[in-house]
Amino acid sequence: MANIIANLNKAFESRIRLGIMSVLMVNESADFSMIKELLELTDGNLASHIKALEGLAYIESTKQFIGRKPNTKYTLTALGRQAFQEHLDALESLIR
Amino acid sequence: MEKQLEDLKAIREMMEKSSKFLSLSGMSGVIAGITAIAGAAFAWLYVLGNPSASGLDRYQQITVLLVDAILVLLVSIGFAIFLSARKAKKNHQKLFNKVTLKTVYNMSIPLLAGGIFSLVCIYRGDVGIVASTTLIFYGLALVNVSKYTFDEIHYLGITEIVLGIAAAIFLYHGIIFWTVGFGICHIIYGLIMYKKYDLK
Repeated sequence: MANIIANLNKAFESRIRLGIMSVLMVNESADFSMIKELLELTDGNLASHIKALEGLAYIESTKQFIGRKPNTKYTLTALGRQAFQEHLDALESLIR
Repeated sequence: MEKQLEDLKAIREMMEKSSKFLSLSGMSGVIAGITAIAGAAFAWLYVLGNPSASGLDRYQQITVLLVDAILVLLVSIGFAIFLSARKAKKNHQKLFNKVTLKTVYNMSIPLLAGGIFSLVCIYRGDVGIVASTTLIFYGLALVNVSKYTFDEIHYLGITEIVLGIAAAIFLYHGIIFWTVGFGICHIIYGLIMYKKYDLK
């Protein structure tokens, strides 16, 4: 049991970070406003969690312009995908 | 343990919500089905049942049938948009987001191809085959779009394709298969989806 709990990733304790990772697992990429709408969050709240995930190199951002509007797109890194998958596996084996 | 279960549930919900068009209302299927049956009944009573009694020449008959079909289409799409917008609002979601656009795009390719192809058939004088072509292309559109929405849509699509092929084999009874496909199947699947997803 202790072993499995150790596999749970501390970075994904927050429901918001789980949400961000879930969106990026099934979508090639997502922009800030899309994640914001899906998770029903404020700008500041989402930004801080995104920064944390970027700091861990689980997600990466690309800035681009759509017309004249700046737009930031987020994608999962290979490391992030692996970390989240391991977290999912740990969650599943815990409830079994 | 509770938290882990809740976490997994939240993850699954967010994955679905962000990649699938879930605002589709089951009731819009029921309304589309009723509209299609009304349209087919009108076509049968005024034109197809007894073509010579309608007092219309062939060109006029085809025009009446086309207007009838377009009205059915517009009423169905109108209600689908209206009811989906209402469902999206109820679930605190925007109707038009990236997923919706992807859904509409993937649906419209086979649908437009089928629509244009059917018009070409009519133009070439082959009206009888149109019940079959509309069913088949509509079924293909549903199968194509089902990965972005509820699983039931996949099976509805396959049902429509089978009915379309049957309508081509039994060419002179095309209207029956058309009524079953666009009318009765929509009502049945609409009710199933309404019960499963909307009555919560």
